[in-house]
Amino acid sequence: MAEHTVASFDEDLRQISKLINDMGDLASSMVSASTRALLETDNALAQRVVSDDAIMDARQRELDDRAITLIAKRQPMADDLRSVVGAIRMAGDLERIGDLAKNIAKRVGSVGVSATPRDLTHSIDSMAQLVLIQVQAVIQEYTVGDAAALAKLRNDDERIDVKYTSVFRELLTYMMEDPRNITACTHLLFCAKNLERIGDHVTNIAENAYYVLTGTQLPANRPKQDETAMSAPAA
Amino acid sequence: MKPMLSTDLNAVDTTVEKAKIEVKNLNFYYGQSKALKDINLSLPERSVTAFIGPSGCGKSTLLRVLNRIYELYPKQTAEGQVLLDGKNILDRSQDLNLLRTKIGMVFQKPTPFPMSIYENIAFGVRLYEKISKAEMDNRVEQALKRAALWNEVKDKLNASGLSLSGGQQQRLCIARTVAVKPEVILLDEPASALDPLSTAKIEELIDELQADYTIVIVTHNMQQAARVSRQTAFMYLGELVEFDRTEKIFTSPREKRTQDYITGRFG
Repeated sequence: MAEHTVASFDEDLRQISKLINDMGDLASSMVSASTRALLETDNALAQRVVSDDAIMDARQRELDDRAITLIAKRQPMADDLRSVVGAIRMAGDLERIGDLAKNIAKRVGSVGVSATPRDLTHSIDSMAQLVLIQVQAVIQEYTVGDAAALAKLRNDDERIDVKYTSVFRELLTYMMEDPRNITACTHLLFCAKNLERIGDHVTNIAENAYYVLTGTQLPANRPKQDETAMSAPAA
Repeated sequence: MKPMLSTDLNAVDTTVEKAKIEVKNLNFYYGQSKALKDINLSLPERSVTAFIGPSGCGKSTLLRVLNRIYELYPKQTAEGQVLLDGKNILDRSQDLNLLRTKIGMVFQKPTPFPMSIYENIAFGVRLYEKISKAEMDNRVEQALKRAALWNEVKDKLNASGLSLSGGQQQRLCIARTVAVKPEVILLDEPASALDPLSTAKIEELIDELQADYTIVIVTHNMQQAARVSRQTAFMYLGELVEFDRTEKIFTSPREKRTQDYITGRFG
Protein backbone atom coordinates (compact mmCIF):
# COMPACT_ATOMS: atom_id res chain seq x y z
CA MET A 1 0.00 0.00 0.00
CA ALA A 2 1.33 3.42 -0.98
CA GLU A 3 2.12 5.97 1.67
CA HIS A 4 -0.28 8.79 2.50
CA THR A 5 0.45 12.26 1.22
CA VAL A 6 0.42 13.32 4.87
CA ALA A 7 3.25 11.25 6.37
CA SER A 8 2.11 11.66 9.97
CA PHE A 9 -1.12 9.83 9.05
CA ASP A 10 0.98 6.74 8.25
CA GLU A 11 2.77 7.12 11.56
CA ASP A 12 -0.56 7.30 13.45
CA LEU A 13 -1.76 4.11 11.71
CA ARG A 14 1.55 2.37 12.43
CA GLN A 15 1.24 3.17 16.13
CA ILE A 16 -2.22 1.60 16.26
CA SER A 17 -1.05 -1.44 14.35
CA LYS A 18 1.92 -1.80 16.72
CA LEU A 19 -0.39 -1.68 19.73
CA ILE A 20 -2.53 -4.47 18.27
CA ASN A 21 0.62 -6.54 17.77
CA ASP A 22 1.81 -5.84 21.32
CA MET A 23 -1.59 -6.75 22.74
CA GLY A 24 -1.62 -9.91 20.64
CA ASP A 25 1.81 -10.93 21.96
CA LEU A 26 0.76 -10.16 25.50
CA ALA A 27 -2.47 -12.16 25.09
CA SER A 28 -0.49 -15.17 23.82
CA SER A 29 1.96 -14.99 26.68
CA MET A 30 -0.85 -14.62 29.26
CA VAL A 31 -2.75 -17.63 27.88
CA SER A 32 0.43 -19.69 27.82
CA ALA A 33 1.53 -18.60 31.33
CA SER A 34 -1.89 -19.04 32.91
CA THR A 35 -2.32 -22.61 31.70
CA ARG A 36 1.28 -23.45 32.65
CA ALA A 37 0.67 -21.98 36.10
CA LEU A 38 -2.48 -24.09 36.39
CA LEU A 39 -0.87 -27.32 35.25
CA GLU A 40 2.27 -26.85 37.34
CA THR A 41 0.52 -25.14 40.26
CA ASP A 42 2.93 -22.22 39.93
CA ASN A 43 1.54 -19.41 42.06
CA ALA A 44 4.26 -16.91 41.17
CA LEU A 45 3.57 -17.36 37.46
CA ALA A 46 -0.16 -17.01 38.11
CA GLN A 47 0.55 -13.76 39.92
CA ARG A 48 2.48 -12.49 36.92
CA VAL A 49 -0.54 -13.16 34.68
CA VAL A 50 -2.73 -11.14 37.04
CA SER A 51 -0.35 -8.20 36.89
CA ASP A 52 -0.01 -8.53 33.10
CA ASP A 53 -3.74 -7.98 32.82
CA ALA A 54 -3.26 -4.42 34.11
CA ILE A 55 -0.76 -3.83 31.30
CA MET A 56 -3.27 -5.24 28.80
CA ASP A 57 -5.97 -2.87 30.05
CA ALA A 58 -3.61 0.10 29.79
CA ARG A 59 -2.70 -0.85 26.20
CA GLN A 60 -6.36 -1.07 25.27
CA ARG A 61 -7.02 2.38 26.72
CA GLU A 62 -4.06 3.77 24.81
CA LEU A 63 -5.30 2.19 21.59
CA ASP A 64 -8.80 3.60 22.10
CA ASP A 65 -7.36 7.06 22.66
CA ARG A 66 -5.17 6.89 19.60
CA ALA A 67 -7.93 5.48 17.38
CA ILE A 68 -10.47 8.08 18.45
CA THR A 69 -7.96 10.89 18.02
CA LEU A 70 -7.07 9.57 14.56
CA ILE A 71 -10.72 9.46 13.52
CA ALA A 72 -11.24 13.01 14.77
CA LYS A 73 -8.09 14.35 13.13
CA ARG A 74 -7.92 12.42 9.86
CA GLN A 75 -11.46 11.27 9.06
CA PRO A 76 -10.11 8.00 7.64
CA MET A 77 -11.82 6.39 4.66
CA ALA A 78 -12.00 2.93 3.07
CA ASP A 79 -9.21 0.58 4.22
CA ASP A 80 -7.92 3.16 6.70
CA LEU A 81 -11.36 3.46 8.26
CA ARG A 82 -11.77 -0.30 8.39
CA SER A 83 -8.38 -0.80 9.99
CA VAL A 84 -8.99 1.82 12.71
CA VAL A 85 -12.48 0.60 13.59
CA GLY A 86 -11.24 -3.00 13.29
CA ALA A 87 -8.38 -2.21 15.69
CA ILE A 88 -10.79 -0.85 18.30
CA ARG A 89 -12.84 -4.02 18.10
CA MET A 90 -9.87 -6.38 18.03
CA ALA A 91 -8.40 -4.61 21.05
CA GLY A 92 -11.67 -5.26 22.88
CA ASP A 93 -11.40 -8.98 22.14
CA LEU A 94 -7.72 -9.11 23.11
CA GLU A 95 -8.51 -7.38 26.37
CA ARG A 96 -11.19 -9.98 27.08
CA ILE A 97 -8.69 -12.76 26.31
CA GLY A 98 -6.45 -11.15 28.94
CA ASP A 99 -9.33 -11.17 31.45
CA LEU A 100 -10.05 -14.84 30.79
CA ALA A 101 -6.38 -15.77 31.16
CA LYS A 102 -6.37 -13.86 34.44
CA ASN A 103 -9.44 -15.83 35.57
CA ILE A 104 -7.59 -19.09 34.86
CA ALA A 105 -4.56 -17.80 36.78
CA LYS A 106 -6.68 -16.82 39.76
CA ARG A 107 -7.92 -20.41 40.09
CA VAL A 108 -4.41 -21.82 40.47
CA GLY A 109 -4.50 -21.37 44.25
CA SER A 110 -7.99 -22.80 44.54
CA VAL A 111 -7.31 -26.00 42.60
CA GLY A 112 -4.36 -26.69 44.90
CA VAL A 113 -1.26 -28.83 44.56
CA SER A 114 -2.38 -32.03 46.16
CA ALA A 115 -5.83 -31.96 44.63
CA THR A 116 -4.61 -31.77 41.05
CA PRO A 117 -3.64 -35.21 39.90
CA ARG A 118 -1.74 -35.18 36.65
CA ASP A 119 -4.33 -37.20 34.71
CA LEU A 120 -7.07 -34.71 35.58
CA THR A 121 -5.25 -31.91 33.78
CA HIS A 122 -3.93 -33.76 30.77
CA SER A 123 -6.81 -32.96 28.44
CA ILE A 124 -6.92 -29.32 29.65
CA ASP A 125 -3.27 -29.16 28.64
CA SER A 126 -3.98 -30.27 25.08
CA MET A 127 -7.00 -27.94 24.86
CA ALA A 128 -4.81 -25.06 26.00
CA GLN A 129 -2.28 -25.90 23.29
CA LEU A 130 -5.02 -25.69 20.65
CA VAL A 131 -6.20 -22.34 21.99
CA LEU A 132 -2.69 -20.93 22.21
CA ILE A 133 -1.97 -21.84 18.59
CA GLN A 134 -5.15 -20.01 17.56
CA VAL A 135 -4.30 -16.87 19.57
CA GLN A 136 -0.81 -16.70 18.12
CA ALA A 137 -1.97 -17.42 14.59
CA VAL A 138 -4.74 -14.82 14.43
CA ILE A 139 -2.45 -11.86 15.04
CA GLN A 140 0.21 -13.37 12.80
CA GLU A 141 -2.21 -13.81 9.88
CA TYR A 142 -3.62 -10.32 10.37
CA THR A 143 -0.13 -8.84 10.35
CA VAL A 144 0.83 -10.61 7.11
CA GLY A 145 -2.61 -9.86 5.62
CA ASP A 146 -3.67 -13.42 4.79
CA ALA A 147 -7.47 -13.27 4.55
CA ALA A 148 -7.86 -16.92 3.48
CA ALA A 149 -5.90 -18.08 6.52
CA LEU A 150 -8.13 -15.93 8.76
CA ALA A 151 -11.28 -17.49 7.31
CA LYS A 152 -9.85 -20.95 7.97
CA LEU A 153 -8.75 -19.96 11.47
CA ARG A 154 -12.26 -18.85 12.27
CA ASN A 155 -13.60 -22.25 11.24
CA ASP A 156 -10.89 -24.01 13.26
CA ASP A 157 -12.55 -22.77 16.44
CA GLU A 158 -14.85 -25.74 15.98
CA ARG A 159 -11.97 -28.00 17.07
CA ILE A 160 -11.72 -26.09 20.36
CA ASP A 161 -15.45 -26.45 20.90
CA VAL A 162 -15.28 -30.20 20.31
CA LYS A 163 -12.30 -30.44 22.65
CA TYR A 164 -14.20 -28.52 25.31
CA THR A 165 -17.03 -31.00 25.05
CA SER A 166 -14.69 -33.92 25.58
CA VAL A 167 -12.93 -32.20 28.53
CA PHE A 168 -16.32 -31.53 30.05
CA ARG A 169 -17.30 -35.20 29.80
CA GLU A 170 -13.95 -36.38 31.07
CA LEU A 171 -14.05 -34.16 34.16
CA LEU A 172 -17.62 -35.21 34.80
CA THR A 173 -16.47 -38.83 34.78
CA TYR A 174 -13.68 -38.08 37.31
CA MET A 175 -16.17 -36.42 39.58
CA MET A 176 -18.52 -39.38 39.42
CA GLU A 177 -15.66 -41.79 40.06
CA ASP A 178 -14.47 -40.04 43.18
CA PRO A 179 -16.30 -37.16 44.86
CA ARG A 180 -12.98 -35.94 46.30
CA ASN A 181 -12.18 -34.78 42.76
CA ILE A 182 -15.21 -32.48 42.64
CA THR A 183 -13.53 -29.30 43.89
CA ALA A 184 -10.55 -29.57 41.59
CA CYS A 185 -12.60 -30.69 38.63
CA THR A 186 -15.11 -27.86 39.04
CA HIS A 187 -12.31 -25.33 38.98
CA LEU A 188 -10.79 -27.07 35.97
CA LEU A 189 -14.16 -27.00 34.27
CA PHE A 190 -14.28 -23.23 34.68
CA CYS A 191 -10.76 -23.05 33.27
CA ALA A 192 -11.83 -25.14 30.28
CA LYS A 193 -14.80 -22.84 29.76
CA ASN A 194 -12.47 -19.83 29.90
CA LEU A 195 -10.26 -21.44 27.26
CA GLU A 196 -13.30 -22.10 25.11
CA ARG A 197 -14.34 -18.44 25.45
CA ILE A 198 -10.82 -17.35 24.46
CA GLY A 199 -11.36 -19.39 21.29
CA ASP A 200 -14.56 -17.44 20.64
CA HIS A 201 -12.69 -14.13 20.97
CA VAL A 202 -10.09 -15.41 18.51
CA THR A 203 -12.98 -16.11 16.15
CA ASN A 204 -14.21 -12.52 16.57
CA ILE A 205 -10.73 -11.19 15.88
CA ALA A 206 -10.44 -13.37 12.76
CA GLU A 207 -13.79 -12.10 11.49
CA ASN A 208 -12.82 -8.48 12.15
CA ALA A 209 -9.40 -8.88 10.61
CA TYR A 210 -10.96 -10.50 7.54
CA TYR A 211 -13.29 -7.51 7.13
CA VAL A 212 -10.45 -5.05 7.61
CA LEU A 213 -8.41 -6.78 4.91
CA THR A 214 -11.13 -7.48 2.35
CA GLY A 215 -14.00 -5.04 3.01
CA THR A 216 -16.44 -7.95 3.03
CA GLN A 217 -17.92 -9.87 5.95
CA LEU A 218 -17.51 -13.60 6.38
CA PRO A 219 -20.85 -15.46 6.19
CA ALA A 220 -22.67 -15.43 9.53
CA ASN A 221 -23.19 -19.18 9.79
CA ARG A 222 -19.93 -20.72 10.91
CA PRO A 223 -20.21 -24.48 11.52
CA LYS A 224 -20.85 -24.83 15.23
CA GLN A 225 -21.90 -27.58 17.56
CA ASP A 226 -21.86 -27.30 21.32
CA GLU A 227 -22.37 -30.83 22.43
CA THR A 228 -22.42 -29.89 26.12
CA ALA A 229 -25.46 -27.70 25.62
CA MET A 230 -27.86 -30.59 26.06
CA SER A 231 -26.09 -32.10 29.02
CA ALA A 232 -24.85 -29.11 31.04
CA PRO A 233 -25.40 -25.41 31.48
CA ALA A 234 -22.57 -23.28 30.08
CA ALA A 235 -20.27 -22.18 32.90
CA MET B 1 -40.21 0.78 -7.77
CA LYS B 2 -38.83 -0.28 -4.42
CA PRO B 3 -38.35 2.56 -1.91
CA MET B 4 -34.77 2.66 -0.74
CA LEU B 5 -33.00 3.96 2.33
CA SER B 6 -29.44 5.15 2.32
CA THR B 7 -28.80 3.09 5.44
CA ASP B 8 -29.66 -0.11 3.62
CA LEU B 9 -26.27 -1.42 2.60
CA ASN B 10 -27.68 -3.42 -0.25
CA ALA B 11 -29.89 -0.63 -1.47
CA VAL B 12 -28.64 1.39 -4.39
CA ASP B 13 -28.78 -0.52 -7.57
CA THR B 14 -28.99 2.22 -10.14
CA THR B 15 -30.00 -0.25 -12.79
CA VAL B 16 -33.38 -0.96 -11.21
CA GLU B 17 -34.16 2.55 -10.01
CA LYS B 18 -35.82 4.97 -12.38
CA ALA B 19 -33.06 6.98 -13.98
CA LYS B 20 -33.67 10.73 -14.22
CA ILE B 21 -30.55 11.34 -16.25
CA GLU B 22 -28.66 8.82 -18.32
CA VAL B 23 -25.26 9.71 -19.70
CA LYS B 24 -24.27 7.53 -22.63
CA ASN B 25 -20.89 7.34 -24.36
CA LEU B 26 -20.19 10.97 -23.53
CA ASN B 27 -16.99 12.60 -24.78
CA PHE B 28 -16.18 16.25 -24.20
CA TYR B 29 -13.57 18.49 -25.76
CA TYR B 30 -12.04 21.83 -24.83
CA GLY B 31 -10.82 22.64 -28.34
CA GLN B 32 -8.61 19.66 -29.22
CA SER B 33 -8.20 18.53 -25.64
CA LYS B 34 -10.40 15.64 -24.56
CA ALA B 35 -11.74 16.32 -21.08
CA LEU B 36 -14.28 13.52 -20.73
CA LYS B 37 -13.69 10.04 -22.06
CA ASP B 38 -16.62 7.78 -22.86
CA ILE B 39 -18.65 8.46 -19.75
CA ASN B 40 -21.60 6.16 -19.03
CA LEU B 41 -23.63 6.90 -15.95
CA SER B 42 -27.20 6.67 -14.73
CA LEU B 43 -28.45 9.16 -12.12
CA PRO B 44 -31.47 7.93 -10.18
CA GLU B 45 -34.45 10.19 -9.67
CA ARG B 46 -34.96 12.06 -6.37
CA SER B 47 -31.62 11.12 -5.02
CA VAL B 48 -28.28 12.86 -4.42
CA THR B 49 -25.33 11.86 -6.56
CA ALA B 50 -21.84 13.18 -5.77
CA PHE B 51 -19.00 13.58 -8.26
CA ILE B 52 -15.57 13.46 -6.64
CA GLY B 53 -12.03 13.45 -7.95
CA PRO B 54 -8.86 15.54 -8.01
CA SER B 55 -8.74 18.92 -9.75
CA GLY B 56 -8.95 18.59 -13.51
CA CYS B 57 -10.57 15.13 -13.41
CA GLY B 58 -13.62 16.32 -15.34
CA LYS B 59 -16.24 16.32 -12.60
CA SER B 60 -17.21 19.98 -13.05
CA THR B 61 -17.07 19.54 -16.83
CA LEU B 62 -19.52 16.65 -16.56
CA LEU B 63 -21.80 18.77 -14.39
CA ARG B 64 -21.65 21.59 -16.94
CA VAL B 65 -22.69 19.23 -19.72
CA LEU B 66 -25.85 18.25 -17.86
CA ASN B 67 -27.47 21.65 -18.47
CA ARG B 68 -25.34 22.55 -21.51
CA ILE B 69 -23.97 25.60 -19.76
CA TYR B 70 -20.64 24.87 -21.46
CA GLU B 71 -22.15 26.26 -24.65
CA LEU B 72 -21.72 29.76 -23.28
CA TYR B 73 -18.03 29.32 -24.08
CA PRO B 74 -16.41 28.87 -27.50
CA LYS B 75 -14.75 25.70 -28.80
CA GLN B 76 -16.34 23.41 -26.25
CA THR B 77 -18.08 20.39 -27.68
CA ALA B 78 -19.88 17.36 -26.33
CA GLU B 79 -20.44 14.07 -28.16
CA GLY B 80 -22.70 11.25 -27.09
CA GLN B 81 -26.01 11.37 -25.31
CA VAL B 82 -27.39 12.86 -22.12
CA LEU B 83 -30.94 11.62 -21.66
CA LEU B 84 -33.25 13.58 -19.38
CA ASP B 85 -36.31 11.37 -18.87
CA GLY B 86 -35.26 9.52 -21.99
CA LYS B 87 -34.89 12.61 -24.20
CA ASN B 88 -31.43 13.59 -25.44
CA ILE B 89 -30.69 17.11 -24.21
CA LEU B 90 -27.59 17.36 -26.41
CA ASP B 91 -29.90 17.30 -29.42
CA ARG B 92 -29.78 20.50 -31.46
CA SER B 93 -33.56 20.85 -31.26
CA GLN B 94 -33.41 21.11 -27.45
CA ASP B 95 -34.72 24.48 -26.24
CA LEU B 96 -31.95 25.71 -23.93
CA ASN B 97 -34.11 28.04 -21.87
CA LEU B 98 -36.58 25.27 -21.23
CA LEU B 99 -33.73 22.91 -20.37
CA ARG B 100 -32.35 25.31 -17.78
CA THR B 101 -35.71 25.71 -16.08
CA LYS B 102 -35.70 21.95 -15.69
CA ILE B 103 -32.08 21.73 -14.62
CA GLY B 104 -31.03 24.49 -12.22
CA MET B 105 -27.50 25.19 -11.12
CA VAL B 106 -25.79 26.67 -8.07
CA PHE B 107 -22.14 27.65 -8.24
CA GLN B 108 -19.18 27.58 -5.88
CA LYS B 109 -19.26 31.30 -5.22
CA PRO B 110 -22.65 32.74 -4.33
CA THR B 111 -23.94 34.75 -7.28
CA PRO B 112 -26.78 36.95 -6.06
CA PHE B 113 -27.96 39.61 -8.51
CA PRO B 114 -27.39 43.22 -7.39
CA MET B 115 -31.04 43.63 -6.54
CA SER B 116 -33.36 43.04 -3.61
CA ILE B 117 -33.73 39.63 -1.98
CA TYR B 118 -37.29 39.48 -3.31
CA GLU B 119 -36.25 40.42 -6.85
CA ASN B 120 -33.40 37.92 -6.84
CA ILE B 121 -36.05 35.22 -6.78
CA ALA B 122 -38.87 36.92 -8.72
CA PHE B 123 -36.55 37.86 -11.59
CA GLY B 124 -36.00 34.27 -12.72
CA VAL B 125 -39.64 33.32 -12.29
CA ARG B 126 -40.77 36.27 -14.44
CA LEU B 127 -38.59 35.09 -17.35
CA TYR B 128 -40.71 31.98 -17.71
CA GLU B 129 -44.07 32.68 -16.15
CA LYS B 130 -46.61 35.48 -15.98
CA ILE B 131 -48.13 35.33 -12.52
CA SER B 132 -49.95 37.82 -10.28
CA LYS B 133 -48.27 39.82 -7.50
CA ALA B 134 -49.96 37.66 -4.88
CA GLU B 135 -48.84 34.49 -6.60
CA MET B 136 -45.33 35.87 -6.93
CA ASP B 137 -45.26 36.80 -3.23
CA ASN B 138 -46.27 33.28 -2.42
CA ARG B 139 -43.69 31.80 -4.80
CA VAL B 140 -40.90 33.91 -3.27
CA GLU B 141 -41.94 32.92 0.25
CA GLN B 142 -42.13 29.22 -0.62
CA ALA B 143 -38.74 29.29 -2.34
CA LEU B 144 -37.13 31.04 0.63
CA LYS B 145 -38.73 28.56 2.99
CA ARG B 146 -37.51 25.67 0.87
CA ALA B 147 -34.00 27.12 1.08
CA ALA B 148 -34.32 27.53 4.88
CA LEU B 149 -33.74 31.27 4.55
CA TRP B 150 -37.25 32.67 5.10
CA ASN B 151 -36.98 33.24 8.83
CA GLU B 152 -33.76 35.17 8.42
CA VAL B 153 -34.93 37.48 5.64
CA LYS B 154 -38.73 37.77 5.88
CA ASP B 155 -38.50 41.25 7.43
CA LYS B 156 -36.04 42.60 4.91
CA LEU B 157 -37.12 41.29 1.54
CA ASN B 158 -36.33 44.66 -0.02
CA ALA B 159 -32.75 44.69 1.25
CA SER B 160 -30.07 43.96 -1.31
CA GLY B 161 -29.16 40.32 -1.87
CA LEU B 162 -25.56 41.43 -1.57
CA SER B 163 -26.12 42.52 2.04
CA LEU B 164 -26.50 38.90 3.15
CA SER B 165 -23.68 36.77 4.56
CA GLY B 166 -21.94 34.27 2.27
CA GLY B 167 -23.95 31.34 3.60
CA GLN B 168 -27.20 33.27 3.27
CA GLN B 169 -26.28 34.36 -0.26
CA GLN B 170 -25.71 30.75 -1.23
CA ARG B 171 -29.08 29.74 0.19
CA LEU B 172 -30.60 32.68 -1.70
CA CYS B 173 -29.12 31.21 -4.89
CA ILE B 174 -30.64 27.84 -4.02
CA ALA B 175 -33.99 29.56 -3.39
CA ARG B 176 -33.68 31.26 -6.78
CA THR B 177 -33.02 27.89 -8.40
CA VAL B 178 -35.91 26.21 -6.61
CA ALA B 179 -38.34 29.05 -7.45
CA VAL B 180 -38.50 28.16 -11.14
CA LYS B 181 -39.53 24.62 -10.16
CA PRO B 182 -36.71 22.61 -11.69
CA GLU B 183 -36.54 18.82 -11.75
CA VAL B 184 -32.80 18.56 -11.32
CA ILE B 185 -30.44 20.74 -9.26
CA LEU B 186 -26.75 20.85 -10.06
CA LEU B 187 -24.49 22.02 -7.24
CA ASP B 188 -20.91 22.92 -8.10
CA GLU B 189 -19.02 22.97 -4.79
CA PRO B 190 -21.88 24.84 -3.14
CA ALA B 191 -20.30 24.97 0.32
CA SER B 192 -16.60 25.27 -0.38
CA ALA B 193 -16.53 29.00 0.38
CA LEU B 194 -18.69 28.75 3.49
CA ASP B 195 -18.01 28.39 7.21
CA PRO B 196 -18.89 25.08 8.92
CA LEU B 197 -22.26 26.28 10.23
CA SER B 198 -23.38 27.57 6.83
CA THR B 199 -22.06 24.36 5.29
CA ALA B 200 -24.16 22.32 7.71
CA LYS B 201 -27.23 24.34 6.73
CA ILE B 202 -26.59 23.72 3.04
CA GLU B 203 -26.14 20.00 3.71
CA GLU B 204 -29.35 19.90 5.73
CA LEU B 205 -31.05 21.63 2.83
CA ILE B 206 -29.72 19.12 0.30
CA ASP B 207 -31.04 16.35 2.53
CA GLU B 208 -34.52 17.89 2.47
CA LEU B 209 -34.53 18.81 -1.22
CA GLN B 210 -33.80 15.28 -2.41
CA ALA B 211 -37.38 14.29 -1.59
CA ASP B 212 -38.49 16.41 -4.55
CA TYR B 213 -35.46 16.89 -6.78
CA THR B 214 -32.72 14.92 -8.43
CA ILE B 215 -29.53 16.47 -7.10
CA VAL B 216 -26.00 16.27 -8.44
CA ILE B 217 -23.20 17.73 -6.34
CA VAL B 218 -19.56 18.26 -7.20
CA THR B 219 -17.41 18.52 -4.10
CA HIS B 220 -13.77 18.40 -3.06
CA ASN B 221 -14.82 17.62 0.47
CA MET B 222 -15.05 13.84 0.65
CA GLN B 223 -16.70 13.81 4.04
CA GLN B 224 -19.36 16.03 2.54
CA ALA B 225 -19.88 13.63 -0.36
CA ALA B 226 -20.08 10.78 2.15
CA ARG B 227 -22.62 12.69 4.25
CA VAL B 228 -25.00 14.03 1.64
CA SER B 229 -25.04 11.64 -1.29
CA ARG B 230 -26.56 8.25 -1.92
CA GLN B 231 -24.30 7.36 -4.80
CA THR B 232 -20.85 8.61 -5.64
CA ALA B 233 -18.91 8.77 -8.88
CA PHE B 234 -15.13 8.93 -8.68
CA MET B 235 -13.51 10.50 -11.73
CA TYR B 236 -9.88 10.70 -12.73
CA LEU B 237 -8.23 12.14 -15.84
CA GLY B 238 -11.56 12.48 -17.65
CA GLU B 239 -12.63 8.91 -16.93
CA LEU B 240 -15.35 7.59 -14.70
CA VAL B 241 -13.32 5.21 -12.55
CA GLU B 242 -16.00 3.96 -10.19
CA PHE B 243 -19.67 4.62 -9.58
CA ASP B 244 -21.41 2.93 -6.69
CA ARG B 245 -23.37 3.35 -3.51
CA THR B 246 -21.74 6.03 -1.38
CA GLU B 247 -21.31 3.64 1.57
CA LYS B 248 -19.48 1.22 -0.66
CA ILE B 249 -17.21 3.88 -2.17
CA PHE B 250 -16.15 5.21 1.21
CA THR B 251 -15.82 1.92 3.10
CA SER B 252 -14.56 -0.56 0.54
CA PRO B 253 -14.16 0.80 -2.98
CA ARG B 254 -13.58 -1.67 -5.78
CA GLU B 255 -10.87 0.22 -7.63
CA LYS B 256 -7.40 0.90 -6.30
CA ARG B 257 -7.40 4.43 -7.76
CA THR B 258 -10.58 5.25 -5.84
CA GLN B 259 -9.08 3.82 -2.67
CA ASP B 260 -5.85 5.79 -3.10
CA TYR B 261 -7.73 9.02 -3.70
CA ILE B 262 -10.20 8.84 -0.85
CA THR B 263 -7.59 7.69 1.65
CA GLY B 264 -5.21 10.50 0.69
CA ARG B 265 -2.54 8.36 -0.97
CA PHE B 266 -2.64 10.00 -4.37
CA GLY B 267 0.41 11.02 -6.37
